[in-house]
Amino acid sequence: MSVLQPTIPVDIGERSQRQRILDAMIDSCAEKTYAATTITDIVSRAHISRTTFYKHFDDKRACFDAAIGYGIEQLEEVAAAAHSPEEAPPNAAREAAAAVLQTLAARPGLAQLLTGDAIAVEPKVVECYRKATIPALEGLWSRAGEPIKAHTDPRVAFGQAQVLILNQIATGKADRLPELLPEIVYLAVSPYGGHEEALRQSRIAKEVPVGGAAPSD
Amino acid sequence: MPLPVTDNQPEDLRKWRLPRGRHGLPRELVERSQRERLLAAVVRVTVAKGYDSMTVADILGEAGVGRESFYELFDDKLDCMLAAHKLLIDDLEERVREVYVAEGPWPQRVREALSATLDWFAADPDVARFTVIELSTVGPAFRSTFQAEFARAITLVEAGMGEDGPEPELAQANALAVGAILARIYEQIVLGRAGELPSLLPDLTYELLVPFVGEDEARAAADGA
Repeated sequence: MSVLQPTIPVDIGERSQRQRILDAMIDSCAEKTYAATTITDIVSRAHISRTTFYKHFDDKRACFDAAIGYGIEQLEEVAAAAHSPEEAPPNAAREAAAAVLQTLAARPGLAQLLTGDAIAVEPKVVECYRKATIPALEGLWSRAGEPIKAHTDPRVAFGQAQVLILNQIATGKADRLPELLPEIVYLAVSPYGGHEEALRQSRIAKEVPVGGAAPSD
Repeated sequence: MPLPVTDNQPEDLRKWRLPRGRHGLPRELVERSQRERLLAAVVRVTVAKGYDSMTVADILGEAGVGRESFYELFDDKLDCMLAAHKLLIDDLEERVREVYVAEGPWPQRVREALSATLDWFAADPDVARFTVIELSTVGPAFRSTFQAEFARAITLVEAGMGEDGPEPELAQANALAVGAILARIYEQIVLGRAGELPSLLPDLTYELLVPFVGEDEARAAADGA
């Protein structure tokens, strides 16, 4: 391809506006929850006009849904990048869980959005992102060709993880989310890997520093 | 005296108004009657309209209480809602404590505590929805309330451990237990199936016990009794 071929996409300005709006929504939720967030909060944080906001989203709720979608996408990417396809399912689940927790710790607003605010706005939101999470987890085992046996209900494990993270945030310890690592790894492994294997992975997670094995360097 | 809040029948709260005029009843009694009706009313109105669109006038209409009396008892609708929430959670805790912090083998008492919890939520779908879902819509007060109640629930789990209680490897096993209960109840309420909660007793007993005692023992405790 010729060096004269333009490479800057024409919608880049628009995309970064949209991105700014989503970030503003996430940050505002972190600070004052979704219920207390107003369009005015979002436009002033994103440094855009009200008109621009409405060019991207019909209302506060549509913007929130997009922020949730964006958050889930980010977590999916992080989880997928945290392990290689050849890895044994329990190890892969542990690494994915650790990476997700690390991302949430770096972005507490996102954690608040996906736990507390998702419940507040509409239960359907929780349902939609649970549907993204559980099959991904199950996929680790089915891809490995192992017979799938549910030891405990993955939906309960998902809810438990959500509650634990929400509590950590509500207690004002969002920056200390990595403390939950042993429990979150346990919850990621136990539904399909069983209690004993989940405890084993949880022990490993405690020894390996978060992100230690991740190819982040 | 049972509060109208826990009543299954959505009867007209205004029927509970004390006679007007010079009845000679002590002020304390009148205030209590008003308070009870307002707390019952705020639960109903929140569930019917949502916290955001609910006004103090809606609560007054449902309760049959005057505006002035309302503001003598509560600062605003949030204050009233949180008071109703506290009343309900206090009641739930008392019922669970009764069967859980008692004599007998721990897994057995866990099962009984869960049974009491599920029955409590199944008894009134409005109350279930109000306590588990609507609270999250009030804004920043949600976090502090959630955190306080979660801590209370964990303390309760701990209080019933007794001498034969397990020693789980996970530091936050108690939090996992509370999380399992919340996750199950939340889901059933969202699905509009709060009434069927008691049928989840064996599954929930199993899910709660696994992190403490492993799968085999948890299965035995869930199937037994």
